[in-house]
Amino acid sequence: MIARADTHRRWRRIFLILGVIVGAYALLAPLTSLDIAQSAGVPLLADRLWFRIATFIAMFVVMATAWNIIGGITGYAAFGNVAFFGIGAYTTGMLISKARWPFLAALPVAPVMSTAFAAVVGLPLLRLRGHYFAVASLGVGVAVGELVQNVEYRGQPIFGGASGLFLPIYAVDNRGLFFFYLMVLAAAISIAVTWWVLRSRLGYGLIAIRENEEAAAVIGVNTTAYKVAAFALAAALTGLAGGIFSQWNVFINQDNTFPIEYNVQMILMALLGGTGTVFGPAAGAVLLQLLIQFLGGSLPISADIPFVSESARPIVAQVILGVLLVVVVIFVPRGVIDFFGGRTRLSLAYLRRSLRETSL
Amino acid sequence: MVDFVQLVILGLLAGGVYVAVGVGFGLVWGVLNIVNLAHGALVVVGGYLTWQLFTTLHLDPFLTLPVDAVALFVFGYALQRGVINRIIRAPLLFTFLLTFGLNLIVVNLLLLIFGSDFRSVTPSYSGQGFEFGSIVIPYVPLISLGVAIALSASLAFVLNRTRTGLAINAIASDRDAAQLVGIDLRHAYAVTYGLGAACAGVAGGLIALIQAITPTAGEPYTLQAFVVVILGGLGRVSATVVGGLAFGLVEAFGQSIPGSGSVFANAIAFGLMVLVLVTRPQGLMGRLR
Amino acid sequence: MGQNRGWVMTVRRLALLAVAAVAMMACGGSGSGGPTTGSTIVLGAPLGLTGALTKESTLTQQGYNLWLDWINTRGGILVNGVKHPVQIKYYDDTSNANQSAVLMQKLITEDKANFLLGPYGSAATATDAAIAEQNQIPMVEANGAAQSIFNQGYKYTFGVLSPANKYLQGVIDMAATLNPKPTTIAMLSADDNFSLEVANAINTYAPTKGMNVVLFKKYKNGATNLGAEVQAAKAANPDIVLNSGHLTEAIAINKAAKQQKLNAKIFAYSVGPSTPDFITALGADANFVYDGSQWTPQVKYTPAFYLTVAQYVAAYKAKYAGLGDPDYHVAESTAACLALQRAIENAGSLDPKKVRDALAALDVTVFFGQIKFDSRGINIYKPMVVEQIQSGVHHTVFPADIADAQPMYPTPAWDQR
Repeated sequence: MIARADTHRRWRRIFLILGVIVGAYALLAPLTSLDIAQSAGVPLLADRLWFRIATFIAMFVVMATAWNIIGGITGYAAFGNVAFFGIGAYTTGMLISKARWPFLAALPVAPVMSTAFAAVVGLPLLRLRGHYFAVASLGVGVAVGELVQNVEYRGQPIFGGASGLFLPIYAVDNRGLFFFYLMVLAAAISIAVTWWVLRSRLGYGLIAIRENEEAAAVIGVNTTAYKVAAFALAAALTGLAGGIFSQWNVFINQDNTFPIEYNVQMILMALLGGTGTVFGPAAGAVLLQLLIQFLGGSLPISADIPFVSESARPIVAQVILGVLLVVVVIFVPRGVIDFFGGRTRLSLAYLRRSLRETSL
Repeated sequence: MVDFVQLVILGLLAGGVYVAVGVGFGLVWGVLNIVNLAHGALVVVGGYLTWQLFTTLHLDPFLTLPVDAVALFVFGYALQRGVINRIIRAPLLFTFLLTFGLNLIVVNLLLLIFGSDFRSVTPSYSGQGFEFGSIVIPYVPLISLGVAIALSASLAFVLNRTRTGLAINAIASDRDAAQLVGIDLRHAYAVTYGLGAACAGVAGGLIALIQAITPTAGEPYTLQAFVVVILGGLGRVSATVVGGLAFGLVEAFGQSIPGSGSVFANAIAFGLMVLVLVTRPQGLMGRLR
Repeated sequence: MGQNRGWVMTVRRLALLAVAAVAMMACGGSGSGGPTTGSTIVLGAPLGLTGALTKESTLTQQGYNLWLDWINTRGGILVNGVKHPVQIKYYDDTSNANQSAVLMQKLITEDKANFLLGPYGSAATATDAAIAEQNQIPMVEANGAAQSIFNQGYKYTFGVLSPANKYLQGVIDMAATLNPKPTTIAMLSADDNFSLEVANAINTYAPTKGMNVVLFKKYKNGATNLGAEVQAAKAANPDIVLNSGHLTEAIAINKAAKQQKLNAKIFAYSVGPSTPDFITALGADANFVYDGSQWTPQVKYTPAFYLTVAQYVAAYKAKYAGLGDPDYHVAESTAACLALQRAIENAGSLDPKKVRDALAALDVTVFFGQIKFDSRGINIYKPMVVEQIQSGVHHTVFPADIADAQPMYPTPAWDQR
């Protein structure tokens, strides 16, 4: 017994050290692209492709962590959070392209708008439970995207319509570096907020709501206020990511700011990593996004799938993604953070146990 | 006036397809508590099956519908029994993700087998219809509506008057109690999902007649199934029929909104759905679960 | 022990150097006086090989590959007496514009693409154009016709195809020559960027030819049930029914038109009828339908280089047997490669800026038509062509000097076919 606890602790320490090393590398490597470093002869460890992918990963960390607040901690599985992303993106986008605000002034408005929307929509929506809430939030997510793209005033689309919005390319040195660190900052804020929530009264209230909402109300938790607060927090963080995205991507339209797949992806990442935890969604986001990029061939390393022709390769890659998803959902329902927590080990017994727990 | 009548007819006829798509989805959701994101993919499989039989064996497409039903039933049964049953006791979110993964697999397998070309089934009588003055009731959508109603009726019959149906109702009310009285849960779940898949298959056959299908053509139907089922209400087949027809009418009259018209169809449909959920969750006709 | 190892390492290194030296000498001079072989030119092309745009992206890839085979059998692109073989690196962006951007960046940074070939679709092209601009690598595209892309002042993106607003103007021009002249138009349009540009152009162009748009209806992109829109068109009793959208919607509208007995003198769809799928899906109902096409196998351009129209069609049929004639998506993609090739040859260099300038100054006619870019980077100099499906076969019917058949006008009513 003691020996096993020791092993667990040792594994946990190893994973922690590995995580810190990888994290430090990820955060510091981009600095090698600065001119100062280059002229000092430091090898270039991060190029533009690296920046693009890394910024995407950071963006998903924000979204997954934000979703976790309403979905994981509070237990209200929102299925339409991409609406906040899109609202944030269009807020910043409109301010920059139509009102000519500078980017750093337009960015803070994004989370404000998303939060306002969440507060308005959340009040009626959060009275629903379970499936109904999930579907209603999906409906809101789809409807908002459609409205933003199509609403017109005097025959002209207000938000750029189907042509989308073009933003001027942001004039800053080391653009890739800048946006990467900005997105990482947003990710850090999200994780910090989650950490704070879990240790605060709000967090206890939310967990109480998740475990048994009626009981929580009985012991005096203002469930409506707490739920809306969680929803608004999730919206704010997601909206921030959207705001950064709009300037970083230079072009926004309904398809790239309200994509329905993002809803599924952010939930999947939180689940994969472990809902209700601080670092779980982040871990899940990194893993899943790396996997998607790997299968899509955008990473510098790629694998060849044997027996598959060139033209069929991308299709087979999608099938593999689907199979992986199915396997993970069935066998690892508590998320991989379970292993890093040190209490469980990835073993056949664990897999069999989780299967038995959830099977009919 | 003529236009109004024609629009009503068009709406109801289109609604037939939505009914067919919705009943299977609603059955699986209402009874098994599974939101089947792979529903659209199953529909497309049915469509391809009909297309294949029509093209190689020259079978009239309406005759291929029973084949679709049986084939998809078997497929759905196997899927539920082998895969989806493994996460029934997990939180609801897991079924979302599992079925999303299944959707990815099925759609891309279809892409590998059939390629991305658009396929359509055009029997000799397509395009013709009954004409009353300037009002037209085309044959194919009319028969499709008939098939959809018949499908719903048979489903309702199975659910209310057969032993299997009683078992399904039992597990819908209380899963563990049903097990206590001796119902084989794994089998009952698989049968339910199989029935849902069979309905999807038939819907697919109908859709192949109405539009050109390609492996990714199922996604919008999954979304529409959501709206149909919520509008009508979970819990009763007749409710889904009402939801499907209502959705068809909304779509038909949506385009007459001045200005952009039907561009807002999705926004309206989903907005309505949210409104229904918030104000009257049991839908227009359903029972509150 | 250590010393021994050191000696072995030195010998190994010397041997490697020797081999490298011999290899370099072998590559460096061929001695026979013909063009020497230079480094491989890498072209990057992210395409939607899975996802919603699979069909069109596959056609684009076919167009790129036809040119690739041809140029490589010739040894490659000739730059200052040196032939550079060409390699095209493809990636699948799963029809997702954001993913297209990531892959574009990868092609530039990791795969060291010298130049870029465009993706399919205006959304992906818009995103990728920004990447090309930020990295200052020329991108020649053939499948994103939305003018908004070219109104951003980007200097590194060039489109060889005619812009969106011209797609249906050819039909209007043709209609103006017909007798009895049609005067009323019902315009249906999908609500995406490209389709709306096509449709809005008709609103302003039709009156200049003496025709009115009596109905203008937008519908959701990808809609499969357009009965209500067709009904509205029927109520407006138009001479011409135009649709601006994609293959799915074109098929849906045609089916609904037959079912609901919408009759008109001209049915013309911007996209859809040119693909073989349209005819196989609709059978005899596809007859009499017109479309605005970037190119048809019947055009009569005299090419300055590369294959003639007839040779191109033959090459396509040889490589992609069983698919019928090449449709314009294939041809325009090949044209993009030709533009890039000629620009590189004219620039006499592989430097991105020099090639960019050569592209801006390019003016050449190939089997696809004239390739010349306006100051924004889009080809406004090539005319659109009007095709009609007659007895299940595509025929070019306008302009008259390159037509191979007369338009079958007016389109007979549905119950008289």
